[in-house]
Amino acid sequence: MSEQKNKIEFIKNLIAQDPPPADKQLRHNEALLKKIKRRMLLVKAVIIVIYMVLYFVAFGAFMLQNYTDNVVHSICWGTASLHILLWSFVYIQRGNCMNMEELIEKMLDNDEKRRNKNQNLFITIVAIMAFVFSSFLLCRSFFLTNNLKAVQTSVSILWSTIFFLIFYPFRTASLIGILWFEYKKMELNINNSSDGSA
Amino acid sequence: MEEDKISDAILVLRCQKRDESAFQELVNRWEPRLYYYLRRVVESDSAVWDVLQETWLAVFQHIRKLENPRKFPAWLYQIAHNKTVSMLRKEIKYVQITDEQMSNYCENNFVFCYDIEQVEAIHELLTKLKLAHREVITLYFLEGFSISEMAQIIGVSEGTVKSRLYYAKHKLHELLKGAKNV
Repeated sequence: MSEQKNKIEFIKNLIAQDPPPADKQLRHNEALLKKIKRRMLLVKAVIIVIYMVLYFVAFGAFMLQNYTDNVVHSICWGTASLHILLWSFVYIQRGNCMNMEELIEKMLDNDEKRRNKNQNLFITIVAIMAFVFSSFLLCRSFFLTNNLKAVQTSVSILWSTIFFLIFYPFRTASLIGILWFEYKKMELNINNSSDGSA
Repeated sequence: MEEDKISDAILVLRCQKRDESAFQELVNRWEPRLYYYLRRVVESDSAVWDVLQETWLAVFQHIRKLENPRKFPAWLYQIAHNKTVSMLRKEIKYVQITDEQMSNYCENNFVFCYDIEQVEAIHELLTKLKLAHREVITLYFLEGFSISEMAQIIGVSEGTVKSRLYYAKHKLHELLKGAKNV
C-alpha cells in the first residue's frame, strides 16, 4: 500500500517538475474546444443539409404527382415521395438503434460482440438490398402502361420500407429493456453488497 | 488509483456519446501527463503544443472506435506517439534502435524504486538519455505500462521495448550514482 502511495507521489512530483504553463494551457484548451465545436457544427450542418435535400426531393416528387396527367406516373411519383421520406426515417431509426447497441456491446464478451456485429451487418445488408431493389422496381414501374400493375408495385415497395420502419424501433425498445434490466441487476447487487458490509 | 481508472472509463464512455464537458474534463485530467511525456520526446515547446492539439483532436475524432474504455491511457499515448513520430520524421530526428539481442536477459535486472527524494535528479537526468530510451522510461515512470502495452504504443516489438527499458534504467542508474558521488 505504501509502495503504491509512493508511486503516486513520485508521479505527481515528476509531473510537477515540468508542468504545462497555465496561460498556454488555457489558450491551448480554448483553441482545442473551438476547433472541436466547429467540427461538430460542421457534421450537424452536413446532416441537416442532406435531410433538407431529401425532403425537398420528396416534396418535389409529391408536387409532380399533383401536376401529372398520366395515372401511372402520378402513382409512381406519389410512391417515390413516400419512398424517400420513409427510408430517411428508417435511417434515423437505425442511428438510434446503433447508439443503443454501442452501449450494450460494452457488456458483451468478444464472442457475443462478434455475433452481434455479424447480425447487425446482415440486417444492414438486407436493408440496403431492400432499398436498392425497391428503388429499381419503382423506376421500372414508371414505364408500365397498366394502372393496376403500377398500384400493385407501389404497395409492395412500401411494404419493405414499413417493415424496417417497424423493426428498428422495436429493436431499440428491446435494447432499452435489456439495459434497464442490467441497470436494475447492478442496483440490486450494490444494495446487497452494502447490506452485507453493514 | 482504481477509482481514477473507473472515473476515466466513465468519462471515455461519455465522450463516446459526444459529451463535450466530459471531453473537457478528460483533457484537463490527462494534459499534464501527456505534456510531460511530449516534453521528453519533442524538443521545441511550440511543437509540443502542436502535437498535443493534434493528439486531442484525433482522440475526439476516433474515440468511438475505442472498444475498451479501460485501455484509454495506452490508446492515448499511442496516438501521441504516432503524432510525435510523424512530426519528428519531418525533422528526421527519430532514430530506430535495433538492439534486440539484449532482450533475452535484460528483463527486470534493475528494479527501480519510486524514491520521492530522487524525483528532481531523475527529471534532470532524463534529458541525458537517448530519445528512444527516454520515451520508454518516461512511459514506464508516468503510467507504469506493461512491456506489451509500451510495445503497442511505440509500435515496436516487445523485445525492443525490453532492451530500451534495460538501457534506459541502466544508464539512469549510472547517472544517478555519478550524481550522488559528485
